[in-house]
Amino acid sequence: MSSSTTTTITKRRPRRGRASNALTLAMALMLGYALLPLVWLFMASTKDTASLMDSFGLWFGHGFHLFGNIADVLSYDHGIYLRWFGNTLLYAVVGAGGAAFIATAAGYGLAKYRFRGRTALAATVLGAIAIPGTALAVPTYLLFSKAGIVDTPWAVLLPSLVSPFGVYLMRVYAAEAVPDSMLEAARIDGAGELRTFFTVSLRLLAPGFVTVLLFALVATWNNYFLPLIVLSDPKWFPLTVGLNQWNALATGAAGSGATTTDFYPLVVTGSLLAIVPLVVAFLFLQRYWQSGLSAGSVKE
Amino acid sequence: MSPAPARRRRLAALVPAAALVLGLTACGSSGAGSAAPAVTDPAAALDTPTTLTFWTWAPNIDKTVALFEQKYPKIKVNVVNAGQSATEYTKMQTAIKAGSGGPDVAQVEYFALPEFALSKRLVDLKQYGAAGLESKFTPSAWSQVALNGGVWAVPQDTGPMAMFYNQKLFDQLGLKPPTTWAEFEDVAVKIKASDPNRFITSIDPGDAGGLDSFIWQAGGRPFQQKDAGNVAVDLQDPGSKKVADLWSSLLQRKLVDAAPGWTNEWWQSMDSGRYAMWLIGAWAPGNIASTIPNTAKDWRVAPMPQWSTGDKVSAENGGSAVAVPTSSKHQAAAAAFAIWLNSDPEAVRSLNDNGLFPATTGLLTDPAFLDKPLDALGGQKANRILADSSATVGTGWQYLPYQVYANSVFKDTVGQSVNGGDLNAGLGAWQKRIADYGNQQGFKVTTP
Repeated sequence: MSSSTTTTITKRRPRRGRASNALTLAMALMLGYALLPLVWLFMASTKDTASLMDSFGLWFGHGFHLFGNIADVLSYDHGIYLRWFGNTLLYAVVGAGGAAFIATAAGYGLAKYRFRGRTALAATVLGAIAIPGTALAVPTYLLFSKAGIVDTPWAVLLPSLVSPFGVYLMRVYAAEAVPDSMLEAARIDGAGELRTFFTVSLRLLAPGFVTVLLFALVATWNNYFLPLIVLSDPKWFPLTVGLNQWNALATGAAGSGATTTDFYPLVVTGSLLAIVPLVVAFLFLQRYWQSGLSAGSVKE
Repeated sequence: MSPAPARRRRLAALVPAAALVLGLTACGSSGAGSAAPAVTDPAAALDTPTTLTFWTWAPNIDKTVALFEQKYPKIKVNVVNAGQSATEYTKMQTAIKAGSGGPDVAQVEYFALPEFALSKRLVDLKQYGAAGLESKFTPSAWSQVALNGGVWAVPQDTGPMAMFYNQKLFDQLGLKPPTTWAEFEDVAVKIKASDPNRFITSIDPGDAGGLDSFIWQAGGRPFQQKDAGNVAVDLQDPGSKKVADLWSSLLQRKLVDAAPGWTNEWWQSMDSGRYAMWLIGAWAPGNIASTIPNTAKDWRVAPMPQWSTGDKVSAENGGSAVAVPTSSKHQAAAAAFAIWLNSDPEAVRSLNDNGLFPATTGLLTDPAFLDKPLDALGGQKANRILADSSATVGTGWQYLPYQVYANSVFKDTVGQSVNGGDLNAGLGAWQKRIADYGNQQGFKVTTP
């Protein structure tokens, strides 16, 4: 999944010059490019196996099987799909929410306080961004296995709470968004540091917080490699790993045993259902996001 | 203390019976469970409350497992799909290394067994009486689990090769199914002539198992393990060369399509008559029936094309066995479960009903099985042909002790030469990668 941002023009300015046809065409092409896979996914979700094999991808097949397919997805293997959905929600909400909160607090601390080792700490965080999570997956597994939390939700949640990029982003954002004079005013009024953070700073940091939350949400929702390694029991799988397992079963049981279940419609329809929450999250959180984009671009 | 070997073997051979008797007479173990020392006798183990974790990706196998649980109510089996093939093996390796989180019983394909067995990651089932099972299984299935003097798994299903072809299309074009590879080539030319967008079949650039099976059938034995440390690789032995020459020529003349198998497009080609046949293991009818339901009835099965007229040689493609990893805490019960699941006549029939092609001679010679018309193939009594294929599998085939790795680099080597190149060059590149890796891993790899 990729995210697309659209810039809305809030204040109507009088139009100067004609709209560029070339640009409009380019944008239309981009839009088509972004939407085509979604159209295919929707159309494919309305088909049974036979239609998937012999009808045009971007149009309906024989009959409309969407609701039947959804029922199959939700009932297969005693409703394991719903369980995966719940797991993904848990990992995304707790993981991304926790990651966004920790990143906000850490970024704010790095931006607004002077303490020994601050520069070294900031450099370490910056360096951590350069290490891909995939490279850490196997060492993480061995570490967790020693701690005895492999095959539990903690194995997915703990690593997703850490977002060095989020810390870096929030540090830059907090430096601009929270004026030092306001912090001083809060201190003079007798508020403790924690109270200042929760009542004053956090509100000012909301746009940045939501940005990090969205990034983390997409990252945890699409997290695949880590859960693949640390989980072996399907009852803790997120959707990504579960759907991939169905896909593996659909595309041949590795030369062993026949697939006597129609997995293709399950995979396609399951994928369609899996992206709905992300689309909703984007539609609802976009406005917070945009309002924060211009922060620091002009001197207050 | 464990009993004397002879007695133990006899006991284990009688596992199901003994356990049944124990169950009926309600004697035997105390059923203390957790605090008791590890039970080493399978018969007693089946009467001790235990929970086993069984890693498998075979769909619907839980139905057969349920039969086991009915019969041995003290054992609970958790069926877990921890991923297919390489995914599962990676997890098993890490879990065994970590000493926890692994299964008690696991599905392992034949090509991956030597790797697990030789690195001492599997329990030798001989100590649980598996040696006495030899007569129950086909020689080719047994030869793939009995390695280096041990028995490392119980065969679950096999995939003797056969030629599945679209009979309706053959009739339309006035063609007869080829019986030799020379005829196969003629038919390939005629199919292409009927429509330039049609192919006799396709070859998957990423599927090592498919090409291995062709080489096996042609008499090639490219992988030979002399002893624990010594491996010989020759992917230009006469059998390998014959196969590479034939398929290179077919691919260069565009008579065969080079396309990944099992994808949506690939099945569409199977469905629409763009591909006329599929040379694959005997487990395929179920896949054909469930994926292309509208045209499945047009398909039939015939024996594999032969290299010399009048020959009857086949090979295996795919298939799995069930093994017990050394990290299991309930090895006796796990072994007893693996043995019952794959050798008890009732269990074996249930496995077959759920789409697995048998590995036991009992079922392969059972008239009810042989004469069963397969709806998937228009009511053809296909099992007769498939069972014949099972009986004529070439002997002496071996896999590398690191075949999982070898298969993972097949796509970068042989796969690159599938698109109009020379497969012999691809095989050479594959051989080099196999030899380099083996030497790095501490084997002594000899190549010609």
